[in-house]
Amino acid sequence: MKLPLKWLKEYVDFNVTPAEFAERMLLRGFEVAEIIPEMDGIDGVYVCEITAIEPHPNADKLRVCTVDAGGEESLQIVTNATNVKVGDQVPVALDNATLTGGLVIHPTKMRGVASAGMFCGNEEIGITDVEYPGCENGGVMVFAERHPNGQRIQEALDLDDCIFDIELTPNRPDCQSIIGICREAAAALGQTFREPEIKEVKGYGDCRDVASVTVENPYLCPRYTARVVTDLNIEPSPLWMQRKLRQVGLRPINNIVDITNLVLVEYGHPMHAFDLACVADNHIVVRNAKEGEIVYTLDGKERVMSADMLLIADPTKGVGVAGVMGGLNSEITENTKATLFESAVFRPENIRSTARRLHHVTDSAARFIKGVEPVNAALALDRAIELVEELHAGRVMGGMIDVCAADLKEKQVAASVSHINEILNTDLTAERMAELLSSINIPTEPVGDALRIRVPHFRTDIEDGIETDWDIAEEVGRLYGYTNIAPTLMRGDTFRGRIGLAFKDEDVIKDAMAALGCLELYNYNFISPKELEDLMIEEDDERRRTVRLMNPFGEDQSLMRTELAGGLLRAACLNLNRKTGFGRFFEVGNVHFDNGDLPEERKLLGIIHTGAEESFFTLKGTLEALFEKLGIERVRFEKGGSPYLHPTQKAIMTVGGEKLGEIGAVHPKVQRAFGLSAPAYIAELDFAALRRSMVRLRKYKPLPKYPAVQRDIALIVDDGMEAQQVIDVIEAAKARVLVENVRVFDVYRPKLPGDKGIPMGKKSMAFTFQLRADDHTLTDDEIGQAVNAILKSLKFRLNAELRA
Amino acid sequence: MFEELLAIREAALGELQRIESEEGLNELSTSVLGRGGKLTAILRTMGKLSAEERAEMGKRANAVKQELTELFEQRRAKLSELAEQRKIEREAIDVTLPGVRRAVPTGALNPLTLVYREIRDALIGLGFTTFEGPEVEYDEYNFTLLNLPPNHPARDMQDTFYVNDRVLLRTHTSPCEARALKTLDLPFRLVIPGRCFRVDEPDASHSPVFMQMEGLVVDRNVSLADLKGTIDSFVKAVFGENVESRLRPSYFPFTEPSAEVDISCTICGGKGCSSCKGTGWMEIMGCGITNPHEIENCGHSSEEWRAFAWGVGVDRVACLKYGISDIRLIYEGDGRFLSQFK
Repeated sequence: MKLPLKWLKEYVDFNVTPAEFAERMLLRGFEVAEIIPEMDGIDGVYVCEITAIEPHPNADKLRVCTVDAGGEESLQIVTNATNVKVGDQVPVALDNATLTGGLVIHPTKMRGVASAGMFCGNEEIGITDVEYPGCENGGVMVFAERHPNGQRIQEALDLDDCIFDIELTPNRPDCQSIIGICREAAAALGQTFREPEIKEVKGYGDCRDVASVTVENPYLCPRYTARVVTDLNIEPSPLWMQRKLRQVGLRPINNIVDITNLVLVEYGHPMHAFDLACVADNHIVVRNAKEGEIVYTLDGKERVMSADMLLIADPTKGVGVAGVMGGLNSEITENTKATLFESAVFRPENIRSTARRLHHVTDSAARFIKGVEPVNAALALDRAIELVEELHAGRVMGGMIDVCAADLKEKQVAASVSHINEILNTDLTAERMAELLSSINIPTEPVGDALRIRVPHFRTDIEDGIETDWDIAEEVGRLYGYTNIAPTLMRGDTFRGRIGLAFKDEDVIKDAMAALGCLELYNYNFISPKELEDLMIEEDDERRRTVRLMNPFGEDQSLMRTELAGGLLRAACLNLNRKTGFGRFFEVGNVHFDNGDLPEERKLLGIIHTGAEESFFTLKGTLEALFEKLGIERVRFEKGGSPYLHPTQKAIMTVGGEKLGEIGAVHPKVQRAFGLSAPAYIAELDFAALRRSMVRLRKYKPLPKYPAVQRDIALIVDDGMEAQQVIDVIEAAKARVLVENVRVFDVYRPKLPGDKGIPMGKKSMAFTFQLRADDHTLTDDEIGQAVNAILKSLKFRLNAELRA
Repeated sequence: MFEELLAIREAALGELQRIESEEGLNELSTSVLGRGGKLTAILRTMGKLSAEERAEMGKRANAVKQELTELFEQRRAKLSELAEQRKIEREAIDVTLPGVRRAVPTGALNPLTLVYREIRDALIGLGFTTFEGPEVEYDEYNFTLLNLPPNHPARDMQDTFYVNDRVLLRTHTSPCEARALKTLDLPFRLVIPGRCFRVDEPDASHSPVFMQMEGLVVDRNVSLADLKGTIDSFVKAVFGENVESRLRPSYFPFTEPSAEVDISCTICGGKGCSSCKGTGWMEIMGCGITNPHEIENCGHSSEEWRAFAWGVGVDRVACLKYGISDIRLIYEGDGRFLSQFK
């Protein structure tokens, strides 16, 4: 909403600086986004009088002028202007002046003669005939009246005003008007609001005798008012009106159209003027359009209507799309003799849907969507008629056509003073509250603990119902000032605050990941269908069960992710390309699977390691450290995993038979598809599974009373043998003592036949383990038997030989 | 001459079957199709032929050339696929061998996580408990129950990603308010973090994915003053004791009275600078007394229970707190950025 200061001053005594005004409005809920000075960007331009003109010694087309700039000494200006003479007062840009487009002026020499500045034309100072008639002369602007030499041009042109650009909240459609916002501004300034009185224009005859209106759908059009003006004199509107329209960014067209636009700005109510000669039988019908009915709107476009859209028609054809735009066939032209002014109320949601489907949200439509009210409709119409009379734009007919299904009765509500004080934690008297409300023209009478409020027609946001006390509390609080309410801490019963277990677990896991050298990513949830192709996810994989957005930014962000791998790979890629030196990242994030109704939401932990020093085993090391931190023991790694992982370097991690997740090198094809310049290693883990497996409280285990002995064995096994197979057999062997901490510590493959006595196709693996008993120190016999039992079992089950 | 051509083709096809390496394929290709190759040689001798024969011969030779080129390419693709497969086989590892712990610099949590924890922990001290809800949500919970029925003008304030008519990506954490009101015993104090989504093209201050934290207090006697006090305490916990907060009137459909929260500028301390547009204040979030319709919509009496709530953008707080000038950095994943928040 643009509010020019000069306009405000017509209704309110303005007694503070613009900045102070902005602050006061802000604290009442009206944020001034910008204070725009008139002649924005123009500075250092002054009124100067030309006292002498000499020819330029070196240039025929230049002249050397002496000017009086109001100072002690006169200045010399070189100009190519031909329209100035001695005695003229002209605008001069002096040293450091800024002009349109950010141009900065400095003293200079022109063909060898010094010039202290520049004479300005209207374009250089950004004004037109509207602001100053006659200034568009093609040369240097010459002032028509006398001004003091040296006066700032803003003062000379009376263009030193400013415009407040005010942001409005959707609950205050009444403030989408100069009248409405000035009402609030007056209260903010502590001044009275001089509400303009609209002079009634009686007119001749009665327009109801010549024109009529039928509203077929009173739900979508609760009120339709109209008046008729004949003997029109279509011409440009007066300069004051043009100037006002330009100030708020509207283009003047002709007096009748400008009147409707000015009323829209002043009263916030959209109007339309029809050429009455083009309305068959002078009869307006407000009805639903027929499916496929075509209307050509003022902008020349064909609009195909549907049955739920509201049409303004005459008995034979459509003449406008209700609330959106008038029809081309009934447009005001210079030949229009009589007009019917429409000021109506249409349902916001209907106009919203119509305007959106026609892809055309006009200023009018925007206002209807925000909400208009029926009393104001008639006010706006009267104001338009007053302007017609004032501008002598035509002969006004008497009477007003008014088809009204709306309730025009004043709403009366009651609010509880004590309840309002409770909501705000204030101690205001009923009288004080009444006074505050009255300052914005809400007549209020205190009666005991109640406020009896006559809700003015423009405050459609104040409800009569369960919300009333809250509505009034909001107004009272706002006017009293939120800053005047002292903060308190909550009273009453105390609460036991706590962090939920899921949140705590997430903290533990994230902290562990950071401690392991990983940086935390927050990737977007949107992915491209191509990402799943690039990851070689198969058609029947559940990760293809994606949730698709109806209105994504584009196809490449059209799906909700079902995996974290893609985002991890992109981040790794970015860091490799930028050579940041960082290669370890993790993310905890949700993935979504289509489920018909609400999607299934699953939280995952994704980890990526990339760079020359990383390998499957460095990532495995990270995971082992994480499991250790979480108290998850005996995680098994078994070959297998998603297609995006390297076929011979991937594993599924399980604990107690439950799948925790997958780990692996990234498949070379996937690495190429993502444009990754180094190998990468990814793990994806199911967050819920991690949480189920983690041990939050580790109970004390008694320390062993008797010492353990350590034994190492080196075995010759098949080359394809996995360490885990051997460990499983060692642990399961009937050793009759406790076998603990079995680990592999060396693997050796022969490089040539006979290498270290290991046949080709076999390899050597060395293991270490501890033997112990709870109730005594093991004897040598027991140890020997245990080792033998283990070796026997290894031989029998894995054909593993003890290496000589 | 046709016979010669056919012989070259036969020989090339025969050899092609035997070739097992890309180098071999290259040699074969050169010896047949190359400048000095057999096929090229035969084409050179075509000058001796009659015009008719030359045309026919040219056609056939080209057909053979095209066929062989295609077959060579197919073979090349097959060979490189085989080579890759062999490489993959060679790279086979024993996935059960122990992992390797590398000594690496410590990592870091994302600033969003750090700020979320700070806000949360400040509120836990005031008796709040964590709560959460789904990122993909019903329209009913995201809007309707919160006093935003279909076609409400304020829906325009929130551009929404839809999955279908009834399901959307939540535009704020507020749907969790409805979920909590419908499922938990009253009274309660909740802090609800989560990702939210809006149709905002990413720029320095907007991100289509962002993190919000909802605060919701439901009790019998809470007031706007309590809301002020609560917000001021976590503002001080996150930004420091010297930072002031203020409420100023605003509008949200789910609250009434509604307010925007400003904090004294973290750059200039409130004196006024370019970051705060000279006002000394920076807007950080919206809040208010919960609209009685929401309480009623969720099955409670608005006469018995009163509530207040806020929704703070964790991203926004992180940007203000750490002086991050572009929100996109948080989501981009550049290690040089992420490693700064240790």
